[in-house]
Amino acid sequence: MADTPLPLRAADCLAVIPARDEAATVGSVVAGVRAALGCEVLVVDDASTDATCAQAQAAGALSLTLPLGLGAWGATQAGIRYALRHGFAGVITLDADGQHLPESLPALFEAQRQTGAHLVIGTCVGRLSLAKRIAWRYLRTLTGLRLTDFTSGLRLYDGRAVEILAGPEASLLDYQDVGVLMLLAKHGLAIEETPVPMLPRRLGHSRVFASWWVVARYLLHTTVLCLAQIDAGRRHGHAPANGAA
Amino acid sequence: MMLTGQITSAILGIGLTAAILFLVRRDHLHGPYALWWFAVAAATFALGVFPILVVWLGRLTGIVYAPVLPIIVGVSLILIRMLKLDIDRSKQERQIRRLTQKLAILEQELDRLGGHPGRDARSDADEA
Repeated sequence: MADTPLPLRAADCLAVIPARDEAATVGSVVAGVRAALGCEVLVVDDASTDATCAQAQAAGALSLTLPLGLGAWGATQAGIRYALRHGFAGVITLDADGQHLPESLPALFEAQRQTGAHLVIGTCVGRLSLAKRIAWRYLRTLTGLRLTDFTSGLRLYDGRAVEILAGPEASLLDYQDVGVLMLLAKHGLAIEETPVPMLPRRLGHSRVFASWWVVARYLLHTTVLCLAQIDAGRRHGHAPANGAA
Repeated sequence: MMLTGQITSAILGIGLTAAILFLVRRDHLHGPYALWWFAVAAATFALGVFPILVVWLGRLTGIVYAPVLPIIVGVSLILIRMLKLDIDRSKQERQIRRLTQKLAILEQELDRLGGHPGRDARSDADEA
């Protein structure tokens, strides 16, 4: 059983921003996060072909450059491993395309303080398309996790979650979504959601919801993943800190 | 007719064994893989040269039409081999991903210690 986490201070955390070819937006996202939270910002450049890394550094971020493209989760995990190695208390992740508003970030810390959850997901329910709504209903049934948004990249992980997600067990996941949530649920960690305002993507597109074909493949992939550990979500997922005393 | 099939199988077995020996000597196949393929070559050879083994195995396993037995066994072995191949590939994929991440982290730390930032990672020089 996981212990109840202490409230996180933004200044002790690392903001991890996975980015592939996001030179146009990454600079302003980095500046926004630094202004809103005052924490270190790490941009993980997922083998970009543009000036993403230079833009991030110019805006005052630390940067990792992956020599091979590992996808959004692979890049995020690199940042999580960096955070663990350098002793950060927690990790907040957000997308590089500017859809997450920097001023909404403190709300995640507030939610973490109030609920004592190991993971707080920032969700924007109004934004969900029909495809997503159908997919989420299906995933809720399948996983037993009582969540409204499974793929939001806006997340606050505490130290315990960081420790688990930095490990080899999380390295074969392909998205920062159901697999990550199931893994944390399996370890008995509490997951909470908090509503935040989000902007539509200015540039680029969702890697998961690019087309119906991709959605179908994603759901199939996720179904297999869930069937392999069908019990995890039902055991722990929707129980917040009260079971962890 | 019988003899032709027998000779074909024997040639197949010998050929396979020779090819595997050659690959091992050239260092193209390592340890456990070589052993597996040796076993396959030996089985092909034995069943080809001594068809009586097939009849005997058929009686032993209750498969009425004995000649189909080598095919069943062969296909099963191929499936097992492929499964093992995918297991190995998954393991390697995990290792490659973690190495890639570790490489990026170490490179960043090296740069911070006063190396030459960006020289190796971005040879196409987006920071002149």
